[in-house]
Amino acid sequence: MADTSLSPAEARQGSERKKTSWLSALLYKSEALRGYLLMSPTMLILTIGIIIPFFILVAMSLWTRDGFGFDTTLTLANYARTQNEPIFNALLQRSFWISGVATVATLVVCYPMAYYVAFHVHKNKMMWIILMTLPFWTSYLLRVFAWKVILGYEGVINSGFMSLGLIEAPLEFLLYSQTAVIITLAHAWAAFAILPMYVSLEKIDKSLLEAATDLGDGPIARFLRVTLPLSMPGVIAGAFLIFIPTTGDYITPALLGGPDGAMIGNFIQLQFGPVNNWPMGATLSIVLMLWIAAIALVFLFVTKKAQDKIA
Amino acid sequence: MDVVDQLGAVREGKLSRRAFTKGLLASGVAMATVPMGARQARAAGDQATYFTWGGYDIPELFQAYQEKNGELPNFSVFGASEEALTKMRGGFVVDVAHPCNAGMPRWVSTGLFQPIDTSRIAAFNDVIPSLVDLPGNDAENGNIWMMPFDWGQTSITYRTDLFELEGEESWDMLWDKRYGGQLGSLGSGGDAWWCGAIKAGVNFDDLDTEDAFTKIAAVMREQRPLIRVYTDDTTTLEQALSSGEMAAAMTWNSSATLLKSEGIPVKFAAPKEGALTWVCGVMIHKDAPNIDRAYDIIESMLSTETGQFMINDYGYGHSNAKSFDQFDEETLAGLGLSKNPDDILSAGHFQRPMTQEWETRMNETFEQIKAGF
Repeated sequence: MADTSLSPAEARQGSERKKTSWLSALLYKSEALRGYLLMSPTMLILTIGIIIPFFILVAMSLWTRDGFGFDTTLTLANYARTQNEPIFNALLQRSFWISGVATVATLVVCYPMAYYVAFHVHKNKMMWIILMTLPFWTSYLLRVFAWKVILGYEGVINSGFMSLGLIEAPLEFLLYSQTAVIITLAHAWAAFAILPMYVSLEKIDKSLLEAATDLGDGPIARFLRVTLPLSMPGVIAGAFLIFIPTTGDYITPALLGGPDGAMIGNFIQLQFGPVNNWPMGATLSIVLMLWIAAIALVFLFVTKKAQDKIA
Repeated sequence: MDVVDQLGAVREGKLSRRAFTKGLLASGVAMATVPMGARQARAAGDQATYFTWGGYDIPELFQAYQEKNGELPNFSVFGASEEALTKMRGGFVVDVAHPCNAGMPRWVSTGLFQPIDTSRIAAFNDVIPSLVDLPGNDAENGNIWMMPFDWGQTSITYRTDLFELEGEESWDMLWDKRYGGQLGSLGSGGDAWWCGAIKAGVNFDDLDTEDAFTKIAAVMREQRPLIRVYTDDTTTLEQALSSGEMAAAMTWNSSATLLKSEGIPVKFAAPKEGALTWVCGVMIHKDAPNIDRAYDIIESMLSTETGQFMINDYGYGHSNAKSFDQFDEETLAGLGLSKNPDDILSAGHFQRPMTQEWETRMNETFEQIKAGF
């Protein structure tokens, strides 16, 4: 402390001042503390809303069901079940397949849209972005229902094709199938692909493209060697933003999936609902989380390698 | 904007016009919205909450309640009774809930419900005694746990123009390979598994045996590839039947009655093996926050006006004997009902209470079959 050399009177005065301002002095000195204080509302919500429930989930996954209650002796029996009974792995694989296809479809469809706004729209870019995200202002559930109406037996597509004379009877594979789930997911999550891809496309330095042209690259080579690699961060972010939540999606397969379109999210819900086996539901949630983490790490590793190779 | 700053500015006469109008706008919005929120919250809190199957959340059943209390009760809806019980065990408090006879003893055993004081219900003397006298329904002092409300059947609704009958009506209709992909089923094991038992020829006395599980699981697996969708939402089945997407589906009475009233050529089958029959009723939660209005709900549901609606528009039996006075035997027979519920209930296979272990195992098995295993 700097005030050790002060006279007693000054020291008394100082200590009074110090009492009132010790907090601000502490804050002034410690950058870390300031940082934590700024983060504290978020940290609080994160602790109450995510970290504590996560530990409850882990604990519950180690319990077993006992009639209406729980047997709280810790055991790995539930995890063993996920390995021994084929249904769990089959549902996991199906979930990864459906949401993987949906992710790829979304990225492929949305990339040109983001590209167009980033490179060819010069006025009112914000309006374009808002227009693209406009459908996402309605509730997710409503959009899923809207797809039910579009894909249904007497839906927009079927009645349209029938009146054009393209088909004789309604196409039944449209609704209550994995196709229906994939189409709906790809539409429902489009905004989450467009925005990050737009941001990373927008940031690309146009002079790099000019340089590539000057050095003899045609449009395709220029896209593959400059634009695509530089926009990869956006593509990867979009892929994560879509793949992770859609794998555990519940409402879309529940409404549109039919018997063959059920995903792991539906099965987890059943464990907490009619099947009444909360520990098993917790176990499945944890297993799903681990799988997603593993897939995400592999994906990151592969894209990193690919980028290094290009660079 | 700092409020104190604004007040100071007003005192000194320095408030800009823009700041003044902004302040006015803010206080206007605040004054308009604060009482609105409070009023809504109070109104919602005051009415009793009725936790019921989808389709029972309609004003027609609560005319008497509405006249007495000015508003309808609050509704909360479930698709399957096991789901409802799980939700309440998780801490969801309602005033009145709507289980069926097969679930009632297990609901009672959770300790989440209080006996119904029959002396508080004026219409109790008109309630058909055999519907009250169910296994597990007697609480202490002549009180009961579940006040019966509706009874009916789970059977097959089929399109008479699309479904070509081979011989008699039978549960085989929902296993008919000719209509693969055009058949629908209720999604909850509480209906589907029992119907599977009838189809497999398992006596309900033997339901809780290894043999029964094997046999029923086998017929359910056989049926699954033929089913277009399993759902707890009867509207989905009704729409699919009306559009011709489905030729036949497992439903309750109401779906057939509703579709008929819209002029769709459907019939509610009387399968030769017998339909599945059940009685449902209402129970009061032990922590019911609006206990008096909970009794108002029950009173309203037992009224003959409600009963006539249930019979005429939904095709369900009602528990109040007087509700049937308006209908002649012929009309009732056309709806598959009778003034004497025992005629119908014992003609079919009457659902019965099972143990929690059985329910859990059944649901688990059935869900796995639905998922394709």
